[in-house]
Amino acid sequence: MTLWFVFALMTVAAIFAVLWPLGRGSGGSDDVAGSQAGEVAVYKDQLAEVERDLAAARIAAPEADAARVEIGRRLLAAAADSDVPAAKTSVTWRRAAAVLALLGLPLVAIGVYMPLGSPLLRDFPLAQRERGANMTQSLENLVVQVEQHLEKNPADGRGWSVLAPVLERLGRFDEAVRAYRNALTYNGESAERRSDLGEAISAAASGVVTAEAKAEFERAHALNADDPKANYFLGLAAEQDGRKDDAAAIWRALLAKAPADAPWRHLVQTSLVRVGGGTMPALSDETIAASKDMNEGDRNAMVRGMVERLASRLKQNGGDVDGWLRLVRAYLVMGERDKAMGASTDARQAVANDAERLRQLNEGLKTLGLDG
Amino acid sequence: MTRKQRRMTIIGGSLAVLALAAALVLNALRDSIVFFSTPSMVAEKHLAPGKRFRLGGLVQPGSLQRGDNLAVSFEIADGSAKLPVAYKGILPDLFREGQGVVAEGALDASGVFKADTVLAKHDETYMPKDVADALKKQGHWKDDYGAKTSDGARPAATTAQGNPQGAVR
Amino acid sequence: MIAESGHYALVLALALALIQSVVPLVGARLNDAALMNVARSAALAQLLFVGASFTALVMLHVTSDFSVANVYENSHSMKPLIYKITGVWGNHEGSMLLWVSILALFGGMVAAFGNNLPLSLRAHVLAVQAWIASAFYLFILVTSNPFLRILNPPIEGRDLNPVLQDIGLAVHPPMLYLGYVGFSISFSFAVAALMEGRIDAAWARWVRPWTLVAWIFLTLGIAMGSYWAYYELGWGGWWFWDPVENASLMPWLAGTALLHSALVMEKRNALKVWTILLSILTFSLSLLGTFLVRSGVITSVHAFATDPTRGVFILLILCLFIGGSLSLFAGRATALKQGGLFAPISREGALVLNNLLLTVACAVVLFGTLYPLAMEVLADFKMSVGAPFYNLTFAPLFALLLLAVPFGPLLAWKRGDLLGVTQRLLAAGVAGLIAVAIVWGWAHGGSTLAPLAIGLGIFVIAGAVTDLVERTGLVRLPFATVLQRARGLPRSAWGTAFAHAGLGVALIGIVCETTWNSEYVATMKQNDVAHVAGYELKLDGLFQRQGPNFREMIAEFNVSRNGEPVSVMTPSKRSFTTRGSSTTEAALLTRGASQLYVSLGDVTNEGAIAVRIYHKPLVLLIWWGPVLMAFGGMLSLSDRRLRVGAPKPARAKQRLQPAE
Repeated sequence: MTLWFVFALMTVAAIFAVLWPLGRGSGGSDDVAGSQAGEVAVYKDQLAEVERDLAAARIAAPEADAARVEIGRRLLAAAADSDVPAAKTSVTWRRAAAVLALLGLPLVAIGVYMPLGSPLLRDFPLAQRERGANMTQSLENLVVQVEQHLEKNPADGRGWSVLAPVLERLGRFDEAVRAYRNALTYNGESAERRSDLGEAISAAASGVVTAEAKAEFERAHALNADDPKANYFLGLAAEQDGRKDDAAAIWRALLAKAPADAPWRHLVQTSLVRVGGGTMPALSDETIAASKDMNEGDRNAMVRGMVERLASRLKQNGGDVDGWLRLVRAYLVMGERDKAMGASTDARQAVANDAERLRQLNEGLKTLGLDG
Repeated sequence: MTRKQRRMTIIGGSLAVLALAAALVLNALRDSIVFFSTPSMVAEKHLAPGKRFRLGGLVQPGSLQRGDNLAVSFEIADGSAKLPVAYKGILPDLFREGQGVVAEGALDASGVFKADTVLAKHDETYMPKDVADALKKQGHWKDDYGAKTSDGARPAATTAQGNPQGAVR
Repeated sequence: MIAESGHYALVLALALALIQSVVPLVGARLNDAALMNVARSAALAQLLFVGASFTALVMLHVTSDFSVANVYENSHSMKPLIYKITGVWGNHEGSMLLWVSILALFGGMVAAFGNNLPLSLRAHVLAVQAWIASAFYLFILVTSNPFLRILNPPIEGRDLNPVLQDIGLAVHPPMLYLGYVGFSISFSFAVAALMEGRIDAAWARWVRPWTLVAWIFLTLGIAMGSYWAYYELGWGGWWFWDPVENASLMPWLAGTALLHSALVMEKRNALKVWTILLSILTFSLSLLGTFLVRSGVITSVHAFATDPTRGVFILLILCLFIGGSLSLFAGRATALKQGGLFAPISREGALVLNNLLLTVACAVVLFGTLYPLAMEVLADFKMSVGAPFYNLTFAPLFALLLLAVPFGPLLAWKRGDLLGVTQRLLAAGVAGLIAVAIVWGWAHGGSTLAPLAIGLGIFVIAGAVTDLVERTGLVRLPFATVLQRARGLPRSAWGTAFAHAGLGVALIGIVCETTWNSEYVATMKQNDVAHVAGYELKLDGLFQRQGPNFREMIAEFNVSRNGEPVSVMTPSKRSFTTRGSSTTEAALLTRGASQLYVSLGDVTNEGAIAVRIYHKPLVLLIWWGPVLMAFGGMLSLSDRRLRVGAPKPARAKQRLQPAE
């Protein structure tokens, strides 16, 4: 309620600022002199100022004399051709201005403020927030608290291990990389940490297993030859390097050793099909629909991972019209229309030299509802 | 001198200064302008070695190699072509693989771009404008770049320089 | 409550500005004093509300209220207090709010101190100010509102860009804006004069001091920004001919021209129309600068693309004000009374030459800034116009200007004697030539133009001294008389001398820095020694330190010269966790006007660190020059007669300048 009171007070003050001169009639005496005499008043004022300055010894007598003469000359010239009309009072217009202030000003203020402002939202300064600690805390807020803790105790390895996967889940890959690095520094080497770091690095590179990431997976592999994540990504690196046979060999070995109920079996199998059979991974609607059974985070991660891999492959081999259409459809299903548009532009450029493929692509895009 | 003559003198003087300025500008435009190019444009145009230009694109992930005494080499890619770049000096704070970068220099005889200036984007939301445009044209634009306006206040980009001239922040 | 009150205050300021832009004009048309007086109280109330709004935003930043999007995006609870405050204008929305606050401040000052202005002129001026203000309030509220809220406030902010977490941000933008926006006063006076169809006597009286104030701030703002870039960006560059910098240089050049032409108008009642045009152009260039920086056309085209309203809106404002005022000028300028006559060789003539060279130099910078943009739009290819272009175009024009600078103050008004002035400048010319000879003999390497440029700098400084010597009669007259004359000398004369000498000082600094700057770039290990320009820098070691919101790696260098220890330098690299970015903090060691400059690069795998060391001879002169210019401006501003607005006494002039 206080807020509305403050608003009302401010509005009244603003209206008053407009009404005040109107209410004062013709204004103070100095104003009248100013308005009626125009130029002449300026020169008179200047003369007075010269006198004051002379009295205060700010300028010398000869200068003051010279100034007086020059001003006097200009004063005469100004007085000669000044026929300033006398000030008038137009009551109608003053009333109009008053109405404008009384009605127009609040209307404009409310009209502009209401769509933009959030009058119901209270202030939320830091001091107040710390007192009310029982508020519900979102994941991001927890992250911030852990980060603050780590800022003060950077050597807390456990903290970094907790933080890193959360950051990765939030899509803050670069920070996740840093967190994994710190976890390694303060907790010591382990195959798992190495391969987690590698995964974060390649996630930061949009799914490409960079040389840096590969080095981490190789270290993890050296520490534990059976580490599934390291093996999977080394296979992926081989695939991205174009050594499909090597990739297939690595994944086959991985599957052979894998327990039957390992959650990542399916992923490795699809990957294997991709390199072995030469067919594309089916990123069909069914896959996406099937993935609805998983919890939302996993599903998103899975879909995003697949889409990213597809996108990075198409970047290297752009002639695959079906692949592009799948990518565009995937983006559309994920609700990322902008990305879909971007991908279709990419696709058109990639096949621009081949009229037949371009035709296929355009038809495909049309059926997806993406025209032009 | 009459009023007219005086006016003519002033107008004549103005024209002389304007002509001088125009001559200077035209002369400068001939050889002090640096063009912007991407790796695929370089491949198309067959730019002559020694011709200075600006090369923009993304630093190819995994391509950065550091040699002795601050020599570095990396590749700049724009999605459809790559160009190796050699540089000697300190890279800007925000130089990272996979990020936008602009280098200024010239091709050498072996087709390596010898850069004497490397500019990197200035925070995670800012992309060198030239690179952004070029990538956008080729459709490799990522929407998360530049989601926020850069602040426009003075120190706007970090720069590494081989020579102290000719950088634009 | 603070957030919403601040927001509402801004809205009220808009409503008041709308009233202020209409009612006084109606009053002026009807010659109704009360209606015209609305301008004054509305302008003061506007200042009050914008001030409240700005204060509210500062408080929100200080208390880290992350329910405000602007605070969330640019602040962090652990940021030091000073950066919480400066962070207010370290972002687009906040800096636009600062812009309008300063605009309101100037409007309020006209309202408060403009009692001796003719009522209708004041009404017109304040109405024009209100047009500008309304446009920018709308721009802020619609496209860059700093008071937008977040429904579920995050617990921590995203922090201010680390590069901006520096004391430079506290000073540079407000100074620059005081300069930019200060020119709005001369603009408003010019447009008011055109609307009224006559130039009042009060015109020159008001315009020159306001222009001077704006010019002083702009000079300091540009110099400050240049020094900030020099020490913060880590590689010792201080001017880049970057569009953003050009955006501040162009109003400065036009403003400098305006300052000089306003002088002619004030003293000689001539060049009236030209002064009006310059007033319009100067503020238009300020607006253009705001557009270039704020629309994102240049810093990042993407910002323009994702939020086209912002760029289009400000472009609209730009077209409206520049186009409107220029067409008003075209329509009305001929109606204005022309001023007095003067010979080409005279003080007026020299000031016209000054104006000519400054405006042409400004046009060259404008061309260099817009040409790449135009080519991109029209011909669809990209290029950059950098230092080489300006070295070939701007530099010769400015050299010509500097050559003429010492002649100006020595020439008499109305009709001058070029030969006599040349004779009196003989000593200065000889000083310049001696400087050329000395530098030529002493310096090895570098451009052959460098000694000539230094000679030119010395000539300008010696010319300024000659002016003072002539006026006080030093050398010719007994010392007591000289002292008396020096005391009697108007402060504006001292101001002119200081400002002109400042130009020479800056030129010498620029030439020395660019020509004889030595550089050392290498990787260094502990106990390695670098030899730069006669100094030995030994790397003692690397240390880690924890700052309030960053971690810092400090390298310690022991600096010695010929075995004598000089000092310890500690450049560092800071990494900011929240933004995951780092900044390079260069270490500076000042020796006289020269500086040693050390900045750090990355640590290599072997534990060595990349280091960049510069020795920059006389580099500080680059900024002492503008400081001297600003000091000259302040002296001139404090001259009583400037405020009186009375012309220079004719008799006294004859006494002081016997050569006339």
